[in-house]
Amino acid sequence: MQKRAFLIGTTAILIVIGLLPVISMLVKSVFQNGHFTLSAYHGLLGSARQWVLIKHSFTLAALVTAFTTVIGVPLGILLGKTDFPLRKLFLFLFVIPLLLPPYVTAVSWFDLLGREGLLAPLLGSTLTQHIGRWLFGLPGCTFVLFSVFLPIPVILTVAFLHTINPRLEEAARSAAGWGRVLKEITLPLIFPAILLSALLVFLLTFGEFGVPNYLRYAVYPVESFTRFSAFYNFKAATAAAMPMAAITLLALIFESAFLREGTYQLQPLPEGAQRMKIHLYRFRSGVVISTTLLLLMIVIVPLLSLIIKSGGFAVYLQAINKAGESLIRSVSYAAIGATLLSILGFFSGYLIRIRAFKFWRSLDSLTLFLFALPGTVIGIGLIRLWNTPRTNFIYATPLIILLGYLAKYTALTSRISVTQLAHIPSSMEEAAQMTGASWLRRMIFIIAPLAKRGLMAAWLVGYIFSLRDTSITMLVYPAGHDTLPVRIFTLMANGSPELIAALCVILIAATLVPATLISLLPLFKRQEVWL
Amino acid sequence: MTVIELRSVVKFYHDTIALNSCSLKVEQGDRLVILGASGCGKTTLLRLIAGFIAPDSGAVFLNGKKVSENKTILLPPEKRNVGMVFQDLALWPHLTVEGNLAFGLKAQGINKTEQKLRIRRMLELVGLHGFEKRKPAELSGGQQQRVALARALILQPEVLLMDEPLSGLDYDLNVRLRSEVVHLQEKLGFTLLYVTHDREEAFSIARTVVILEHGHLKFKGDVAQAKRLLQL
Repeated sequence: MQKRAFLIGTTAILIVIGLLPVISMLVKSVFQNGHFTLSAYHGLLGSARQWVLIKHSFTLAALVTAFTTVIGVPLGILLGKTDFPLRKLFLFLFVIPLLLPPYVTAVSWFDLLGREGLLAPLLGSTLTQHIGRWLFGLPGCTFVLFSVFLPIPVILTVAFLHTINPRLEEAARSAAGWGRVLKEITLPLIFPAILLSALLVFLLTFGEFGVPNYLRYAVYPVESFTRFSAFYNFKAATAAAMPMAAITLLALIFESAFLREGTYQLQPLPEGAQRMKIHLYRFRSGVVISTTLLLLMIVIVPLLSLIIKSGGFAVYLQAINKAGESLIRSVSYAAIGATLLSILGFFSGYLIRIRAFKFWRSLDSLTLFLFALPGTVIGIGLIRLWNTPRTNFIYATPLIILLGYLAKYTALTSRISVTQLAHIPSSMEEAAQMTGASWLRRMIFIIAPLAKRGLMAAWLVGYIFSLRDTSITMLVYPAGHDTLPVRIFTLMANGSPELIAALCVILIAATLVPATLISLLPLFKRQEVWL
Repeated sequence: MTVIELRSVVKFYHDTIALNSCSLKVEQGDRLVILGASGCGKTTLLRLIAGFIAPDSGAVFLNGKKVSENKTILLPPEKRNVGMVFQDLALWPHLTVEGNLAFGLKAQGINKTEQKLRIRRMLELVGLHGFEKRKPAELSGGQQQRVALARALILQPEVLLMDEPLSGLDYDLNVRLRSEVVHLQEKLGFTLLYVTHDREEAFSIARTVVILEHGHLKFKGDVAQAKRLLQL
């Protein structure tokens, strides 16, 4: 009874904070003065500009997906399966762009290559102008988003490589070289991961707002945001958001139909199982040099350019004066958001893991749908639903920001929990149940302590993603409650490049310092031996 | 007196039948060993009795009371007064030996003094006095088995279910623990249902033997009859 009540409560929370805003937005977009009308959609589809936006959005998403997959999967194999030196360090450094608001990477490239960029004196005005045209448009957006989302196929490839039963590769290696084994055994086994990463990159690029807005490339999320914030045209903003929701839904139906069983079947190997490693031998130096160059180009150089551009101590002092309160708010909201996300994700993950209800798959799809849905769509939906006199205690307070975090990022903490719970034999809970312990007691004293590494990882991921969030917070934050990413974004219009760079560096520190400290905790290093 | 009764129990996993119209009666105080090859339905049978799963058809009775039938669990596991030792032992690695034993006592609202007393007695009984503060990973295989046994017995269950608990141990330890299980059962008087695929293990523990084959109960009788059937 207690278990049922908790799990139904979890489902209800996810529906109220995630699904209801989107439905409310859809319903309100087709009613005017109590009458059904599709006028907003007629206006949208009748305009030639919409087709340009669709073309831009698809082109950008397709290019970023193609580049990240073609480079990310081999990079994942390199970092996950070979004797490449310092693999963990390289993996961590490659992941950094994903941990930051994507527009920070765009700003860093502008600081490097822009008219007043660090390289401008060396490049000369003609070349700088040429590069500027390249940066502000499709190539620039593609390059920046490629570097931001490259970690997705890399991480998924590494993670899924670790799930392959070594016996399968050993059997193949006795008959063929690594080239054939990778092509015919390893890659087909991790194919669901490759497709899943491609799908995620496509959807995240399709919904990305910050980078195309900064680099002035017209895509759907920018259109939706502009209609809302510049013209305050709710119906047009909603109508512009709906194609994004529809495409996300279609992509997830595809994922659900073709990929999900494949990804569920893959479980981490037990501790101590020996994975097969590819030795690079004579290729090692060449591979190390080219990987280091890629790392320098897409991670180190942009970060260094921000640090150099930001100048000295005085600029940082000015940045703290201007946005210190936003920084404190960002960290506080992200910490609270992460805690709530860990709890909600834990229960949702438990529900999915034990398939507690017949609709467990729908709940999993709902969280994934909300994660893939552009933040602008969720933001508009939240405003639509909660902007009423009776619910002002949500709409006019930071609660609405927290609801946005929960709606958007529960998929991440839920999936982390599912993975962690998969490590815990069901007999652990059953043994506790035999003793007469209530379900809540079993959760608190048995399952949660056993899943503490997963809970900690979920908290960390929740913190990072809440802290980097721009698209939802930008739309929903109440007056006086802006976060640092939003503050930087608004300061871009009239703040000095040095100040913006300094704020970006502070944001990077606020993300990476707690993340590094938490990942160094002994908890993350020690693996319980389960009997 | 019949403690456990299964009446025409059928259990499917997707399209595979795990138990096919099984009927079985277990008398109070019996040491009944279910013998069968891997995948014959032994664990399913124990999990049905424990109350983790319900039969697709048929019914399970405990002390004459119907506890599950036709896809419905009528009495949850914690209310059946049944203990279980799992194949993987399922010792909680984050809790000490004392914590593992105390967990169920706390859940039943037993006060701390009584808890300590019962834990001490139980650990003495299984020969683990002085190991209270150890974590499971700090114990040998045999000691872990004893903790699992103690944890199941500390709530004084009427029935103890053991799911191949000795399968991972070396032969000598396996033989020693078998006799300890028998000794404990005789001393405490609970009804034992013990599952194994090992004939020697089965015959050294059993008073009654049940042979399970592809989900069917093929035989039930004493050890001598079972040996004759298996031409041993």
